[in-house]
Order: sequence, then structure tokens, then C-alpha cells
Amino acid sequence: MQKRFPLNKIVGYLFVIASALMMLVPFLTTVFNSLKTYKQYMQFPPEWLPNPTQWSNYTTVWEQANFSSYTINSLIVAILSVIGALLSSSMIAFAFARLRFPFRDTLFMIVLGTMMIPGIVTIVPQFIIFKNLGLLDTLAPLWILEWLGQPFAIFLMRQAFLNIPKDYEEAAKLDGCNPFQIYWRVFLPMCKPSLATLAVFTFMGKWNEILAPVIYLISDENFTLPIGILSLSGQYKTEDQLLVAGALISLIPILIVFLFAEKYFVEGSKTSGLK
Amino acid sequence: MKKRRFLSVLGLIGLTAALLISGCSSQSSTQQGDKVELYMGYSSDPPTKKKMEEIIAKFEQSHPHIKIKTMTAPYDDFYQKLTTQIAAGNAPDLWQSDGTKVFGYAQRGAILDITDYVTKEINKEELNGLEFNKDSDGKYWGVPQGIQVGALFYNKDLFDKAGVPYPTADWTWDDLKAASVKLTLDANGKHADDPAFDKKSVKQYGFAFFGSSRGAFNILKAYGGGVLDPTLKKSIINSPENKKAVEWMVDGMQRKLFPNPADLKAFQSNFKAFLSGAVAMQIDIYAATTSMNGAGLNYDVAPMPKGPDGKRFAPVIANSWVINKKAEEQKVKAAKEWITYWTTSDEAQKEWTEVGEAIPVKKSVANSEMFLNPATKPENKKVFLDTLEFAGTIDTNAVFTEWVKVFTDNLAELFMDKYGTDEFITKTDEGIQKVLDDFFKKQ
Repeated sequence: MQKRFPLNKIVGYLFVIASALMMLVPFLTTVFNSLKTYKQYMQFPPEWLPNPTQWSNYTTVWEQANFSSYTINSLIVAILSVIGALLSSSMIAFAFARLRFPFRDTLFMIVLGTMMIPGIVTIVPQFIIFKNLGLLDTLAPLWILEWLGQPFAIFLMRQAFLNIPKDYEEAAKLDGCNPFQIYWRVFLPMCKPSLATLAVFTFMGKWNEILAPVIYLISDENFTLPIGILSLSGQYKTEDQLLVAGALISLIPILIVFLFAEKYFVEGSKTSGLK
Repeated sequence: MKKRRFLSVLGLIGLTAALLISGCSSQSSTQQGDKVELYMGYSSDPPTKKKMEEIIAKFEQSHPHIKIKTMTAPYDDFYQKLTTQIAAGNAPDLWQSDGTKVFGYAQRGAILDITDYVTKEINKEELNGLEFNKDSDGKYWGVPQGIQVGALFYNKDLFDKAGVPYPTADWTWDDLKAASVKLTLDANGKHADDPAFDKKSVKQYGFAFFGSSRGAFNILKAYGGGVLDPTLKKSIINSPENKKAVEWMVDGMQRKLFPNPADLKAFQSNFKAFLSGAVAMQIDIYAATTSMNGAGLNYDVAPMPKGPDGKRFAPVIANSWVINKKAEEQKVKAAKEWITYWTTSDEAQKEWTEVGEAIPVKKSVANSEMFLNPATKPENKKVFLDTLEFAGTIDTNAVFTEWVKVFTDNLAELFMDKYGTDEFITKTDEGIQKVLDDFFKKQ
């Protein structure tokens, strides 16, 4: 007869439970902190559970950070960025991975090289360009660059395309596909996991981005969500519990996008066969 | 067939993008009819933003020829944005500058010298803090928007529990240290002068100081020392007075009467130590009352203690309206009208005082019952007004952030016993002088 609970299983479960707690406790602390009063938040040593439970923090932050209108702006920026990044970067990556043209590898190195330049140093020149284009105080500067290809995204997609065996490409060519059709009909569908990864990265990056919105947007009605949440912090006094509540609300769309993209991550392991 | 559909989809996307770009862009018109559009910047959080909008609406009512367009963001982001805008040449015509940044903008040539306007059109007798925006050449660069001044904040409950009398106006820094001994407790409730006092488990400290306006700078000044000379271009760290003050601080840290930087870190934020009632006294500025009242602390304020020779010092930060050097003439005129309205209108002053973040710049409002209202803490608000008599700026110049960093980093190493007082003095003197020379000698 076999033992019902072999030792190695118990140890395994304990390990898994311990790791789960390590992930959960900080998250729960955040949730509890979002329900505290300012007074309780400032207590030291801190108390874990909120007392009294201040549900009104959520309604306050919803109004003060202007969630209802800023969410729409954030969604516009994030969605347009995702579409742009997926289209432009994958096209460029396809060229770098599969087409043959002079200086291809040198050009790719230059693209990678731009990743070494910290974004912050290009802020002023970029600002001047957008100013001259008349795009200040519009949402365009926040997403339009994604339509021109991003080095990291290009790199990611190129790696994915390189992994696809040449046979697929040749088979498609025999069937009369031109390079664009090979890209669109054969390569893109096979790289859904990478596309999903890229979509999630881009969405998260844009959803949480703070520097560009702060710099390019002036009017209230154009603000994005992170500005709304940050605007709760004062020079002298910050209602931290409201900031935490705001951050938690703004997490929801990211969770949704992630859950949506998850099935493609799994699908990735299925498409590797070639006989 | 499919290919065509794809191409049309692609075309549609491109068209939408093009439409969005062209639809979103709009050239801001500077003038609408006879109206002047004044572009104004200020940093804000929800309560201050709401108040400022109300005041702007009232101003526009009484000044129908001016329309105000605003640019606002939370404190840190506001200045980041402003820096970019100044570099790109489209900063606001007028903005509310942190008092520590006024001379920086002046020395970098971003703001207008308004000496003429200030001397001719502003009644100096009626305003608090105007002189703090005057540089060593006698030029004025800004007009105060709200005043911050430092005082000694103390937790009444902790004093009562220890049976120590509250700080008075006659206190010297040594009196403060003597009181700190009785107010410092370890986990077993033993006082700092008890032989059994456990330095490793202090749970309540006598006095905390950190940063620039809340920190060592004030103590150096009270001891007759300081950091920069009046031209703000030379370090005066290397002086016997400073050495004495630094030794006084190190002694307090070593006896654990004052939390050192590592002890403060344990509280998550430096401010939380006092807010949570783990520190009995702290130097802070008027604005701190908002968070202390929010945390429900039982506290009051006393004037900053005196140095050994009876010298007193308190930090003052005059947050100010400054005008863009590149602003057009009619906008400069409108900006001055706004400043005059802000500093003379009782209505605007009272509205702003309600936010509770700053001492009103108009003296009559600052001395009124409305500001001094004893029903809200701290009771002794008059201390802030009296302090203005001896308060001084905290040596703010174009490289203020940079030299403060050298100063506080080195102090932290000193307080963590990385080196001794003498080494701190020479190292800091050289470090700060280098920061100053890097900027001023290259100009």
C-alpha cells in the first residue's frame, strides 16, 4: 500500500504555499493600505488590517483623480500604441530576419544601438519636434512613435521570425506568395505568442507611462490616468492611502489584457512541429 | 480577394491615424479679440488646484480683458515639465516657483528681473517675505505667493508623559538636547540618562532633523556658521563655528537622542517618525501642519532654539510668482496685474489661506483671526509670524539641489560614523566648492 502523503509531496506543497504567501502578502498589504484612513496609514509600527475600513477611499480617488475621463484617454493611447507596435515592429523585424538587402546587418546594429541611448536625453529634442508639428497637448506624441517601430520590439520579433524554419518560407514561395504574403499569412500567425508578449509589454508600458504625458499634455481633458493618480500627491502632504487605492483600480485593465493574452502564451508550445 | 480586404483595412488604419493627428492638433491662439491670454503655471494637488481655479475665476471676472490658461501638475512633474518647456522656449508667461528655485531660474536667465515693478508698484510694508527674493545685487526676481517658515514642532503628549515642560522662546540648542535626554526611551521604557539604557532598541527619540530646510543647516546658522557666503558662490563650511555645531549633532546621534539616517529609514519616510509619535521634536515648516492635523497629532510649535551666542536662525522659503523672460510685453503686463491682484486682494489671500499650506503673504491677512485661529492646531501660530523677523533663506542658488546633495550625503556618512568631524568639514568644503565652481566659473 502506498502512503497517502509521501514526504516529498508535503515538502513540495509547503514550498509552494510559502512562495504563494510571499507573493500574496505584499499584494494584500496594498489592498489593506488602500482601505485605511490617513491617520492609520501614518501609524508606526504599522497595523496590517484597516480599522475602520474606509471604503470611501475608492470613491474619493475616483472623483479626485478624474478616473472616468482619464481612463478613456489612457485606453486610446494604449490601444493605438499596441496596434502600431504590432504592425510596424513586426514588419521591420520581418525585413531584418528574412529579406536580403545591402547593409541589412549594419542597419540592424544601428537599430539596436539606439536602445543604448537613455530616453530621457532625447526628451527635449523630441519635445521641440512635436512642438513644431503642432502636436503638443494632443495624445499623438504618446502613441505615434510606436507606429515607427521600437528597437526592443523589433529585436523581439526578429528573434521569433528567425526561429521559424526556412521550409515554411520556401513552401509558401512555391505556392506563389510574395514576401508580404509570406509575412502576413505564414509568419505572423506562427508568432502569436511573441505578438501577445509584445502587446502586453506595450500596453503595460503605455498604460503606466508618466513622463511623456506629463511633458506633452497641458489641458486637463487630455490627461491620462497616471497623471490623475499622481496628481493626488502634494508637495507637502500626500494622502498615500488614496494613491494606493488609485493604483489598485488602474491595475484592472492590465489584468484583463494579461488574461486575454495568456491563451496565446500557451498556444506557443503547440506550433513548433515540422515533419 | 482576401489580399484586397487586407489592403483596405491597412488603408483605413492609416487614414484614421492621419485624421487623428490632424484632428488633434490645434494651434493655440494667443489673442482672442482684445483679450490677452495669459499662460500660467503652478504645481498642485486636488485641494490646491480647486482653490486656484476658484481664485482664477474671480480674477477673470474683475479683469475681463485677461483670459488665463493654466498648466499644472503635481510638484515633481511640474518642474520636470517646466524645465523641458523652458529649454524648448514655450514655458508659461508666469509661474509659481518654489522659493528654493527662484534664484536658480534667475541665474540661468529664464525669468524676468522685476525690480522696477516691485519698487514702484508693490507696497513692501504690506507684504511678507518680499526681501527673500532679492539677490545680493539688490535685484528682485519674484513676488511671494505663499510663505513657508520653519519652527520647532513638538508632540505635547510625549512631553506630558515624560513630565518635561514645553519648549519656550528662550531655549538654546543645549536646552533642547537636555530635554531630549528625558524624551528618549528604549524598548524597556528606560531614559537615555539611565545606565541601563539600551541604545540598540530605542523606540522613542527626543529630536529629529533631516534634509535642508528641516536639517543641520539651521543648527550651523544658529552656531554662527553656515554653508555659503552672501554671494552664494563660495563655501564657508570650514569654520570653527560649524565644527562646534557638527560636534553637537554627532554627540546627540551617538547618544541616540536623535535618530540617524538609518534609524529614520526604518520609518519608511523621514516624516513618519514624528507623525507616528516616535519622535518628540522636529524642525519643520508651516506646511507640515496639514499632514500633522491629518494624522491627528497633539502638537504645537515653538521658535527655533538659540545658538551659544544667542543667535537664532529659522529657514524661510518664499514660494513666488515669477515672470518668463521671453514673455511678450502685453503678457508681462497681464502677469503683473495677476501678481498685484494676488498680493493685494483680501479675497484671494483668504481663499488661499483656507488651503492651510502657506502663511499668507499679505500681512493684514496673516495677522487676522482667520489665519491665527486658535481652534485649529497648532495653537501658537503666531510663532511663525514672529519667526519671520529673524528667518533667512537656505542659500538657494542655481546649483542648490547639487550642493544640498553633497552636504546631506556627507552628513549621513558622518552620522553613520564613516568618518570624523574634521574629515567631514574638509571633504564637504571641497565638495561644495567644486559644485559651485563647476557652474559659476564656467559662466
